Amino acid sequence: MERIIINNISKKFRIGCNRNTSFLAKTLSFFSGKEAKRTIDVLKNVSIKVNPGEIVGIIGDNGSGKSTLLRIIAGIYEPDSGEIIIRGKTVSLINLSAGLKERLTMKENIFLVSSLFGLSYSEIKKKFNSIVSFSELNSFLNTKLYQFSSGMLQRVAFSVAVHSNPDILLLDEVFEVGDENFRKKSAEKIKKLVTEGCSAILVSHDKEIIKKYCDRVVWLEEGKINKIGEPADIFDKYVKSSI
Amino acid sequence: MVSKAPRVDLTPSFTVIKNSFQKTKSILGLSLVLAKAEFKLRNEGSYLGIFWYLLNPILMFVLLFLIFYDRLGSEIKYYPLYLLTGIVMFNFFQSSTLEAVRSVANNRWIIKSINFPKESLILAIIIKNIFSHFFEILLICLTLLFFEINIFNILFYVPVILWLSFFALGISFILASLTVFFVDIESIWTFAVRLLWFGTPIFYAIEGQARLFYVNLLNPMYYFITIARSLIIYGKMPELWLLAAGFFYGLLFLLLGLRIFNRLKTKFAEKI
Repeated sequence: MERIIINNISKKFRIGCNRNTSFLAKTLSFFSGKEAKRTIDVLKNVSIKVNPGEIVGIIGDNGSGKSTLLRIIAGIYEPDSGEIIIRGKTVSLINLSAGLKERLTMKENIFLVSSLFGLSYSEIKKKFNSIVSFSELNSFLNTKLYQFSSGMLQRVAFSVAVHSNPDILLLDEVFEVGDENFRKKSAEKIKKLVTEGCSAILVSHDKEIIKKYCDRVVWLEEGKINKIGEPADIFDKYVKSSI
Repeated sequence: MVSKAPRVDLTPSFTVIKNSFQKTKSILGLSLVLAKAEFKLRNEGSYLGIFWYLLNPILMFVLLFLIFYDRLGSEIKYYPLYLLTGIVMFNFFQSSTLEAVRSVANNRWIIKSINFPKESLILAIIIKNIFSHFFEILLICLTLLFFEINIFNILFYVPVILWLSFFALGISFILASLTVFFVDIESIWTFAVRLLWFGTPIFYAIEGQARLFYVNLLNPMYYFITIARSLIIYGKMPELWLLAAGFFYGLLFLLLGLRIFNRLKTKFAEKI
């Protein structure tokens, strides 16, 4: 049975824009503080199914709707139309620093972010050592995060996410930060979770990661699915179209 | 025709009751962790630490006592305690609701990145303010000892603060969710809470002032503060209508707040 069924979903956003408006409209806008807005179609009739034990990559240009799609799967946004069925616990890593408080120590942040990912206090205590050792930051446990590099922050956030019992893991460009060793280690950890039955959706511009770890790739273009298929083939077509 | 998309969660579950219990438990657990983190952040790097929690009510108390004791307080029995109780209770309500106004916008990146029970953000503010309020309660206890009033009267404050928290939570839910859609709410509330401060009998009594009394019948803070003073300072059971009105306002705003928050929370991530 599929973990994720996305059936014909669409999403529109109203965004601010600078239009050539009349003096009166500009004056009204100045006093009301309201800006001119236009509607954009971020996702148009997108349908995908993801099975347990599958890693699906999502590629596409900036603004093609990748992050919006992840947010809809995570339940952060609601689609305007269509149907979405989710089976299991979703853990999303869309913004690496989300939930981390830079004036708290790494230890305090592990408890905080794990709680945001739905772990109870007793579960966090059980998994604490494993989270810390996976991040390889044992000696920084009592250091405040404002003294961490972005790579170290990524280690903390990723280590917590993969230890949060996910059935569905949503990762948005998480491999773009951090050193090569940790990237490999993280990718292997995802592979391990997937072999245990988890599903993963991975947004990335990293060709190697997409080709090596994804079972299928979805190419999004202007909110629509352009192509779905074998990673190497789709990625090459995507690169060629960008040139 | 655009139809509203249903989100079907097919996670195996045993019973609806068990799910509700688990959900409440997880909201409470997360709220406690968030409150603890915010409490630490508030004191982080501060040399005076928790003394700041005492400094505000003490300075306010001293100032109001010096200005108003002769004119308004000389006929009020145990005026220092009367004044202090009013100040700390209103402080709790004011700081909770003012923090809640910006809470959704201040946590925009968490809301846009992780799907978690957003009620926890608001509940955490109330819990954190209960932690801080604890120090103010200690101040009341010391004043009770000074006036040789039975210190155990403070135990009656527990149900009052619990019910006041429900009221503050309800108002906070309303403010937090409406501010996402109408930014002006923040400025309006800052002004409204100041008006409420002057309208509530904190440093004066309303006995004998019919107009003020009738206005205060619509002011929930009047009931909570009057009930607390009656129990803690005067050791008397408040009149039944006061208890009923306090109970009514607390429950009404909690339910109203939850309803508004639950209706609007699904749109937060898109609007912030």
